[in-house]
Amino acid sequence: MNNEPRTVAVLGAGTMGSGIAVVMARAGHRTIMYDIDEANLRRGLDSVHGFLDHSVKLGKLSQDAADTAKRSLSGATDLRELAPSDIVVEAVFEDLALKKELFGRLDDIVSAHTLFHTNTSTLSVTGIASGSRHPERVVGTHYCNPAPLMKLVEVADGRHTGSPAHEATVAFLRGLGKTTVVTKDRPGFIVNRFLIPWENSCIDALENGVATRDEIDAAVKGSLGHPMGPFRLLDIVGMDIHQQVATRLYEQLRDPRFFPPPMVERMVAAGDLGRKTGRGFYEYDDTRLFGS
Amino acid sequence: MSEKFERVGIVGAGTMGGAIARFLSAAGVPVTAVETDLTALAGADLVVEAVPEKFDVKVAVLAEAAAVAGPGAVLATTTAALSVTELGAALPGPERFAGFVWHNPVDTTRTVEVVPGLCTAPETVARLAAFADSLPGKEALVVGDRPGFLLHGLLMPYLNDVVQAYDDGLAGAEDLDVAIELGLGYRTGPLAMLDRIGLDAHLDATEAAYAATGDRRYAPPPLLRRMVAAGRLGDKSGHGFRTQEDH
Repeated sequence: MNNEPRTVAVLGAGTMGSGIAVVMARAGHRTIMYDIDEANLRRGLDSVHGFLDHSVKLGKLSQDAADTAKRSLSGATDLRELAPSDIVVEAVFEDLALKKELFGRLDDIVSAHTLFHTNTSTLSVTGIASGSRHPERVVGTHYCNPAPLMKLVEVADGRHTGSPAHEATVAFLRGLGKTTVVTKDRPGFIVNRFLIPWENSCIDALENGVATRDEIDAAVKGSLGHPMGPFRLLDIVGMDIHQQVATRLYEQLRDPRFFPPPMVERMVAAGDLGRKTGRGFYEYDDTRLFGS
Repeated sequence: MSEKFERVGIVGAGTMGGAIARFLSAAGVPVTAVETDLTALAGADLVVEAVPEKFDVKVAVLAEAAAVAGPGAVLATTTAALSVTELGAALPGPERFAGFVWHNPVDTTRTVEVVPGLCTAPETVARLAAFADSLPGKEALVVGDRPGFLLHGLLMPYLNDVVQAYDDGLAGAEDLDVAIELGLGYRTGPLAMLDRIGLDAHLDATEAAYAATGDRRYAPPPLLRRMVAAGRLGDKSGHGFRTQEDH
């Protein structure tokens, strides 16, 4: 039942949407990637193909499996083409009004059994579900970036999510090979809830002269067993993204631990966003990003 | 002053003291480990204190160790949260005293923090840092005398935050750890880490940091106090957030 092929629509052809589309297509689901913008959609589909080709080159996926996944993938710029969807996964910009509107319009297009998943990282599942007349079928499913490589999906119910939708969602995600954890509809769920204050406290420690960049990264990586120190990670995430996520969480929680420290604003103002601009906490010759 | 330490005395046989003694012995350093009878520290030229995080207890142990080891010995504390300067001020030779802060688990963590107090002599810092750098797989970081220094100062608020979120029902203990291990790639989830550190040791440290700063991020979450009151101290008692042995 879990592995039965479904039709899955992925809304949004950005980094997360493309990554989720890889997950779906690779698992044998008929996958329709939707984006309102034709050029974005093309880039997203290319990125899925590129990921699958790279997986074949690395020996992680057979050529046959990659070809099958590509055949199961299609694109759409018209929501009406999503009518056959069993599951819709929303991965558009973190804009509450946009997410609500998409779910509301899909109410009239998809079937009465279709599950609505939202990959929001900082907005309320309940708030997004309020855009649909069927909030009992809306579930928060937060993937980690890069979605095809990271096993974790955080599952959060909104106030009106029904247990059949929750159970079916967990079973579906496990069928994808994901590890699910169940959490609450609270800002940042688990991962961002703890990552953002942690990163902020490391930036504070640097700004206040507790230790140097290299010392903090060495201690965190070498003695806490994190895969990399906080400043290496922030350079990959991007200071603009950190600022956005931190600010959004702060606006909801009003807890100063979430507010980006002054150094973040200075780095963003200076254009020192991290790897993608060649300079953040560290300097880089090569501005290519991992996983893109 | 730059010569190696000939004999290292370790006071305190708790999780950290025992592990430091075993690590140094395995690295070929002559070690004398004591618990309550400090007379065996005679002849040690470095004494590392690793007793519970109570100011008065530490000062009493350090003063006695200083008397036994003599004026040539360097004294160090493994405190996670007390002030090195304040501890040193209560000792006869604060210039020969510094923080020497290890992390758990002692044998795999790579950094050791060397913390000078206001009165610590530069030679004392240099000697401890050179000693830490000479140990296999270790790197000395010289950091300022602030509550928690570097790593504990970052860790304590994070661990307190997780305990409070768990008490608030954000997710189950296993789900919280799994989310952080898989989502962030951390080797150990926060609740398993607390079980390993010992909930009592964390409570003592974060209480000391809170008393020193008045910063509510260090305030012990009520559940932590309840767990310690109930004797649920983590791995060492067989019952903590993640550890639950059948009795």
